[in-house]
Amino acid sequence: MKKSLNSNELLLYQPNRYPFLMIDYVTSYVPGKYAEGYKNFTNNEWFFPIHFKDNPNVPGALQLECMAQMLTVAITTLPGLKGKITHALEHKVRFKKEIKPGDKLILKTKVLNWKRGICDGLAKGFVDEDLACEAEMKITIPEILEKYIPSKPK
Amino acid sequence: MSNKEKYAKVFIKCFSLDKNKLKKDVKYNSVPKWDSVGHMNMIAKLEEEFKISMEMDDIIDFSSFKTGIKILKKYKIKI
Repeated sequence: MKKSLNSNELLLYQPNRYPFLMIDYVTSYVPGKYAEGYKNFTNNEWFFPIHFKDNPNVPGALQLECMAQMLTVAITTLPGLKGKITHALEHKVRFKKEIKPGDKLILKTKVLNWKRGICDGLAKGFVDEDLACEAEMKITIPEILEKYIPSKPK
Repeated sequence: MSNKEKYAKVFIKCFSLDKNKLKKDVKYNSVPKWDSVGHMNMIAKLEEEFKISMEMDDIIDFSSFKTGIKILKKYKIKI
């Protein structure tokens, strides 16, 4: 059976909250493998009046955040990781299309590797089936990563 | 390629080092790229290169180029 998370359920796996929660629904996921879903952008988003007044569109940094939050769900749905905080380590991102008020950003993320608190993944965002953004991402659960790090030399 | 060359190559590649730098030993956080992410990347490359899987305590103790040589002996890798 396909697993999904509605807007309330996903809060168990994604620690970000309004106004920084950047995903609305997880339509399907397999823990440790992938997570897909969407974010609807309405005129009520806090950033549209300021980015920009005459041409409102979603800031690239927030598009990246959408992709990172969805990838996070693919990891935090693994046993024992529910609600853990993730941090970004390295991202290589490309923006292809402006995302405007009223657009629905479909997010597709895939885990390439998950080991010792570090996740390498790929993410893509689509609007009306057109690629709007994509990224190669490295995120971490610091709580796990820190267990493997040598102490600093004195 | 000898184990010594393979070992040095991982360090040079992961941390963008000059070969000469390794002669004096290199320690965790002593070069810009050997940070927490660089550390895990280097461990993953060594595991791949020597087809081993390192234990958590060894990953934590792996704090310098020279210390790493001793640790790899535990995995029957002679540098």
